[in-house]
Amino acid sequence: MDLVRLSWKNIWRNRRRTIITLTAIAFSIMLVQALHNLSFGVYAGMVDSGVRAGSGHIAVYRNNYLESRDETLYFKDGSLVDDISQINGVEQVLPRLYIPALAQSSRESRGVMLIGVDPDRERQVNPFLKTLPADGMIRSTDSRDAVVGTRLLHELQIRPGQKFVVTAQNEDGTLHSELLRVRGVVNSGMKDIDSSLILVGLGRATQLTGNSGSVHELAVILADAGLEATVHRQIAAQFAQGQDILAVSWEEAMPNLANAIKLDYASQKFIFMIILLIVAIGVINTLLMSVMERMREFGVILAMGSRPMTLRCMIMLEAVILGLLAAAIGTVLGSLATWYLVAVGIDLADLVPETLEFGGVVFDPVMRASWDPAWMLRIAVYVVCLTLLAAAYPAIKAGRTTPVEGMRHH
Amino acid sequence: MSLIELQDVSKIYRLGSQEIPALTGVSLTFEAGEFAVLAGPSGSGKTTALNLIGCLDHPTSGHVIVNGLDLGTASKKALADFRLQNIGFIFQSYNLIPVLTAAENAEFTLMLQKVPKPERRAKVRKLFVDLGIDGLENRRPADLSGGQQQRVAIARAMAADPHVILADEPTANLDSHTAEELLELMRRLNREQATTFIFSSHDDRVIAQARRVIHLQDGCLADDLTISK
Repeated sequence: MDLVRLSWKNIWRNRRRTIITLTAIAFSIMLVQALHNLSFGVYAGMVDSGVRAGSGHIAVYRNNYLESRDETLYFKDGSLVDDISQINGVEQVLPRLYIPALAQSSRESRGVMLIGVDPDRERQVNPFLKTLPADGMIRSTDSRDAVVGTRLLHELQIRPGQKFVVTAQNEDGTLHSELLRVRGVVNSGMKDIDSSLILVGLGRATQLTGNSGSVHELAVILADAGLEATVHRQIAAQFAQGQDILAVSWEEAMPNLANAIKLDYASQKFIFMIILLIVAIGVINTLLMSVMERMREFGVILAMGSRPMTLRCMIMLEAVILGLLAAAIGTVLGSLATWYLVAVGIDLADLVPETLEFGGVVFDPVMRASWDPAWMLRIAVYVVCLTLLAAAYPAIKAGRTTPVEGMRHH
Repeated sequence: MSLIELQDVSKIYRLGSQEIPALTGVSLTFEAGEFAVLAGPSGSGKTTALNLIGCLDHPTSGHVIVNGLDLGTASKKALADFRLQNIGFIFQSYNLIPVLTAAENAEFTLMLQKVPKPERRAKVRKLFVDLGIDGLENRRPADLSGGQQQRVAIARAMAADPHVILADEPTANLDSHTAEELLELMRRLNREQATTFIFSSHDDRVIAQARRVIHLQDGCLADDLTISK
């Protein structure tokens, strides 16, 4: 305890230097914590938007469908939708049938991806459909209503309310056509989707393919993304032994999004490492200067009978105190910055007028942070450890001096 | 057995390829309770001899035996522990720790000995009264005069009840009146508590106060006089 008190007094010998060092470390912690929380929030938003419009937090497929996208790999959902909906934490289960098709108007034709959906379930979670007016939504699963991507509508040179025909291969190998009517228009902001998307009721879609009651995908939306692992296990337990149906996480179902986030976060980690390296250099500089200034005093302390290890402990304690203080101040500042970024965020709308697409997902131009307290604590602990590591050389140097050498210093 | 024995001790410092002899073949013994001065001009080897007696340095040849321990055979850690238990130091420029109060400075060796706080507080309070610096316990060294700082340094050296106190030019930075007072104080402590004092000085007024005067000249023992008073 006495050594702690002495170390505390030592770090305040040069008040200005200590305050500058503390500020630099605390500011770095704030920067790393706030940047991480901002990314955490943006990524969470992207994942949420991606899973709701895409394959869900967990997706259920026939084996190999994910790799091959072979439209013959459908499965009868039977009671699966209801069974999975019963699982605690599941917000919605969205059955979908994906059909490559040809869309034709009286003027143009285009290759499209026709998706059969349960309109009531889909509208509750799909961000593309949530914004549609009530009269722009598919009315029933068997209706001829279609929701069409805005670019596709333009390319087919048709308008809402007008008819068009889609042709797809039936289960028996023949071509089958269905007449549809444009009910609503989706403007996702993503070129690929807006130029190829057609949503129809699941019943109407199965009439095209002739495989009634079948789906390619069950997109499971969770109330809390943190429950993914638990729910995943429970869904997997629903499948009978030998049934070639599997549940996959969104990372596997949407590798583009997962990889884009990983790559972006990896580059951020690199920046974090550089920031922490600068912190370490700052701490080494401060402690080394402080040690060099006190060599004479160390000589006296050693002469009085202190062991070199006591001196080393004293320097390490000074580093721990410095690190803990900086971690506490930095975390308070990091929390304030995160609070601002959660409440207000950063609006990029004026800087980037176009739609922002990342990893196949459109994200909100207002970037908002999310709290990640575990990670904030981890970075604070890292900084304390880094400070300790940075103190090792000055501490060893102090411990190596002899009383006579020390007392010769001026 | 003598408290301190120097047996044919030599010390040579190396500066690059140059060898500088600081002590040459010095043999001395000190008994418990002595009040001795190592006298001689600058460069005569006084500080080197004190450093060797205080286990702060190793002789190039010969043996230094303090309280039965041959310092040449002891490890760095053992020497540190030995100094802590047996030797007190008083330095020319006081060398108090500036961030500690006078009382905390005096308690420092007791803290290293892991003496409980109330016990060391009580001991230092008594020492401060004995040394005439009571009331200055909470002052920092920067707020004390040279004489007061040196008294705190004496308290620090005395606190752990060492067998011997080594003082390197303890009065060199003090005015003659304060130096006189301080010498009288050390002599009183020597008399009343039988603490052995060995100090170095080249000041004739200080040398005149000692009961034994050891003259060093160019690193050699020139004279060893015991003065009866």
